[in-house]
Amino acid sequence: MKNRSVFELSFSNNSFGDGAAERRERSLHGRPTTGNTYHGSGSGSVMTDAYIVGAGQSSFGSFPEETYRTLFREAYEAAAPADLDGDDVDEAFVGTLGVGGRQIGLAGPAVTEHVGLHGVPCTRVENACAASGFALRQAVMAVRSGMADLVLAGGVEVMTDSSAEATKYWLGVSGETEWERMAGTTFSGVYAQMADAYLREYDAPRRALSAVAAKSHANGASNPKAHLGFECSIEDAETAAVVADPLTLYHCCPTSDGAAAVLVAGEEAAASFDERVRVAGVGAASDRVGLFQRDTYTAIPASESAAATAYDRAGVADPRTDLDFAEVHDCFAIAELLAYEDLGFCDRGGASALALDGVTAADGDLPVNTSGGLKSKGHPIGATGAGQAVEAFDQLTGNAGERQLGDPERGLTHNVGGSGGAAVVHLLEAEGVTGA
Amino acid sequence: MSDSEPGIGTAPRSTESAGGSEADARILGVGTYVPSAGLPREAVVDAWGRSRAPGIDAVAVPAPDEDTLTMGVAAAERALSAAGVDAGDLAGLAFATTTPPLAEEDLLPRLGAALGVPANARTHYAGRSTRAGTRAVRAARDAGSVPALVVAADAPRAAPNSPEGHAAGSGAAAVVLGPGSGNGARLAGDAEAAADYPGTRFRRTDREETEGLGVTTYDRAAFTRPIRAAVDLLGDEGDAPAPSEAAAFAVTAPDGDLPARAARAVGLDADAVSTPASTLGDTGAAGPLLGLAAALREGATPTLVVGWGSGAGADAVVVDGLAPVEGDLDTERELSYPAALRRRGEITSDEPPAGGGAAVSVPTWRRSQPARYRLSAGRCPECGALAFPPEGACPDCHGLVPYESVRLPTEGVVETVTGVSPGGAPPEFARQAERGGDYAVAIVRFERDGAAASVPLQVADAAPDAVAAGDPVRAAFRRIYEREGVVRYGRKALLTAEER
Repeated sequence: MKNRSVFELSFSNNSFGDGAAERRERSLHGRPTTGNTYHGSGSGSVMTDAYIVGAGQSSFGSFPEETYRTLFREAYEAAAPADLDGDDVDEAFVGTLGVGGRQIGLAGPAVTEHVGLHGVPCTRVENACAASGFALRQAVMAVRSGMADLVLAGGVEVMTDSSAEATKYWLGVSGETEWERMAGTTFSGVYAQMADAYLREYDAPRRALSAVAAKSHANGASNPKAHLGFECSIEDAETAAVVADPLTLYHCCPTSDGAAAVLVAGEEAAASFDERVRVAGVGAASDRVGLFQRDTYTAIPASESAAATAYDRAGVADPRTDLDFAEVHDCFAIAELLAYEDLGFCDRGGASALALDGVTAADGDLPVNTSGGLKSKGHPIGATGAGQAVEAFDQLTGNAGERQLGDPERGLTHNVGGSGGAAVVHLLEAEGVTGA
Repeated sequence: MSDSEPGIGTAPRSTESAGGSEADARILGVGTYVPSAGLPREAVVDAWGRSRAPGIDAVAVPAPDEDTLTMGVAAAERALSAAGVDAGDLAGLAFATTTPPLAEEDLLPRLGAALGVPANARTHYAGRSTRAGTRAVRAARDAGSVPALVVAADAPRAAPNSPEGHAAGSGAAAVVLGPGSGNGARLAGDAEAAADYPGTRFRRTDREETEGLGVTTYDRAAFTRPIRAAVDLLGDEGDAPAPSEAAAFAVTAPDGDLPARAARAVGLDADAVSTPASTLGDTGAAGPLLGLAAALREGATPTLVVGWGSGAGADAVVVDGLAPVEGDLDTERELSYPAALRRRGEITSDEPPAGGGAAVSVPTWRRSQPARYRLSAGRCPECGALAFPPEGACPDCHGLVPYESVRLPTEGVVETVTGVSPGGAPPEFARQAERGGDYAVAIVRFERDGAAASVPLQVADAAPDAVAAGDPVRAAFRRIYEREGVVRYGRKALLTAEER
C-alpha cells in the first residue's frame, strides 16, 4: 500500500486539506476490496490494469438550445450508472478546445461540478481535436499509477452557436498559427495539401476519398447520435462543391456540438460495474504543429508512433489480423486513408485500395468507423476522442445496436490533434480476452 | 509667362545648391514593377458611357495584397539586381509616394527591413505631391551617401467617375545611384521651379481620393508653366546636355494629354514622352522614373526627367547615358469593370467580426520579421540542417542550438498546394479573397547549400488551378493582412513563369 500512503500524504498537504482526504477515505471504504489492489507483472512497478466501465455521449449535431454544460450532462448520464455516487470518482479529465472560443478558463470544473462531481479534482486537457483522447489517456495513467481508482474522462465542445465568420477565427487555432495560418491556409487547406501530396505520390484516385465518405455515411446513417446521419454515394462526394482542392464538401467533417464521457476504473473498482472493457494498450506521440515543419506530408508520424507503442503494450503483432474494428480520426477523408497506413492496416500507398475494395466497410475484414466517424457522426472537437471510445465500448459490450459487429474482441481508437501535432491510440479488449 | 511673376522668377544660386560636380551621381540600375492586371478604357466606357481621362488606354490596378510599399519593394529588388548592388551595401535609401499605406508612420524602416538595407543608411521620404519621385532622386543625390536606392511607387485613388478616377493607375520604379565617376548614366543638371496654382489636383486631409476642379486651361497652365520654367533653368547649366536635345521626356503624367503639352512647351516632340501613362494610367510620383526606365530600355539618351506636382512646382534633371533596367512595363491581363472595383475595394462588404482565435500579436509578428521579410533561416551548427523559422530546436537533430543566420534563396519549388475560396478563407483573409478571388496556399521548398527548408506561402496573382506541385516560384513581398490598423507584410509566392 505504499502508493496509497504517499498519495494520502500529498493530499494532507494540499489546499483541499482534510476534507479532501476524508472524501478520499470514504470513497475507498465504500467499495469492495480484494486487499491486493496493486498487482502486475514485472519487477519494481506494481500496477493495475485499467478498464472502461462506462461510456456514453450526447447526440452530436447543432443544438442551439443546449450549452456545453447541458451537453456534458447528457454524456455523463449516458456513461455513468444511475446509482453512481459522485464521491466515488477520484479524478476527472475533460478535453475541450475552447467552447466556441468563450470559456477559455476552468471549462473542466464547470462541467464536472454541473453534473454533481462536487470537489472532484478536474484537469482540462487541450490537445486540439485529440483533447479527450488524451483526457482518456490521462485517466488510464491515473488509474494505472495507483493514484486513482475511478476516473472520469470526457470532452465537450460547442461549435455552432456563433456566426460562421466568427467561428472561423478559432477553428484555425488547431493549426500552426504564426506561419501556416498567416499564409491564409485554412484547416481544411492543410489536409488538402496532404491530400494533394498523397494522391500525387501514390497516383491514387480521388475516388478513394469519396469511398471513405460514402462508407462513413453508410455507417452513420444507423447511428442515432450522428450529426450527419444520412447516406451519401460516392458520386455525391465526387461531385460536391470543392472546399479545398482535392477535398469536396463530403470529404470534410462538420463542426458539431456535443459531449462524450468515459469512466475508467482500476481492476478493483471495475469489479462493481456490470460491463468492463480492458485498456490493453495506450500509445501517444507529439510532432511539430505545422505541416511544413514535418518530414512527410503523406503520413502522420505521430499516429504511426502512437500505434507502435499501443501495439507493443497490447501485444498486437499484426493489426490486420489482431483487430476486429477501429475508430480512426477522419476529420477529412484523406486523414482516414493516412490512418490506414499509419496504423499498419496496409502498406504505404495501399489505403485507397482498402477503401475502394470495401475492406474497411462495416461488413469488411476490418471495419473502420462503424459509428460514422468524424465525417458522419460529427466532430465536436473536444468530445471526439472520448466519443470514439464510446463506440468501441459499445461494440465490445454488444451495445452497438444496428451497427453491432459480430462479437468483436479487440478494437482501436485513434485520435489526432490538429493536422498531426498530437496523436493517441487506445487498444481496447472485450472482457475475457487476454491479450492479442 | 513673365519672369516677374511671383513664384516663378529665378534667384541667384550657389554652386552647391545647383548640383554641381560635388553632388554628381550616376544611375547604376533601374527596376520597375507593374501590377499584373489592368482595366482597359473600353471597360470604363461601357460602365460610364465615356472615359474622362484623355490618352489613357488602360490603367494598372494593384492586387488586394499590394500597396505602394510592396510595389516599391518589387521595383527596388529589380533595381538592385540590375545595378548589381547588394542591399546590405546601401548607404542611402529614399522612398516617394503620394499614397502611403499609412497617413503617418515612417515607412523607411519597413522598406529597409524588407530589402535588408543597413540600419544606419541615410533615409529620405518624399510625399504629398507627385513631385515626390524626382524630389527623392535629387535628395538622395544631394545627400551624397552612395550607393543609394531611390524608390517611387504610387497608386492614386479618386472618385470612380471622375477624370482622376478614370486615369488612376499604379506602378513603381526604383533607381540605384552610385558615385559620379564610373559606370552608369550620369545625373546631369538640377533645377526646380515653383508657381502657386491651387486647385488643379489635390487631396483633402483624411481623404483617399484626389480631386480637381477641372478648369481646363488653368489646369494646363498649372502643369506646363513650372515645367517650362524648371527646364529653362536646367538649360542654363553648362555641364548638362541641352534639354531640347533630349531623346526622351520622362515626365509626370496625370493623364495622356498634359505630358504632350509639356513636351511642346519645352521644345520637344510630343512623341518624345516616354512615361507609360497610356498603358498604366496616372502613376503619380512614380511616373517620371517609369518614363526613365522606358527610355533606358529603348536605348534613348539623354532623357529629360521632370517631376511635376500640383500646387504647383517642377523638378528637372537630365540623365545622360544608359543603365541596365529590369522589370516590364505592361500588365498581363484585363479586368472587367466590376472586378476592378472589387480589386480596389471600391465595392466591399462589411468587415468580418472581430475575433481573436488565431491572432498573431504585433510584437510576436515583429520578432519574426527577418524570416517573413527576407526568408531568414537558421543553419544548425551541429548537423547542417536548415530551420525555418530559425527558432526552437533543430528540425533534424532536435538540438537547442544557436543557429547561424542564412537567407533562403528567393526561388523555390511548390511541394504541395490547395485553393481557398472567398467563402472559406480565414476571416483575416476574407476581404482579400473577396477583392481578389480564390487564392492558392502552398508549401514551398527552398534549397541552399545542400539543405532545404519548407515554408507555407500564399501564392499571389494566380488562380489556384494554375498552381501545381513542382512549379517554380519566387518569394515576393506582399501585404499579409491588416489587424488593429497595422498592416502585416511578408513573403508570398509568385509563379516564376508569370513574373514580369
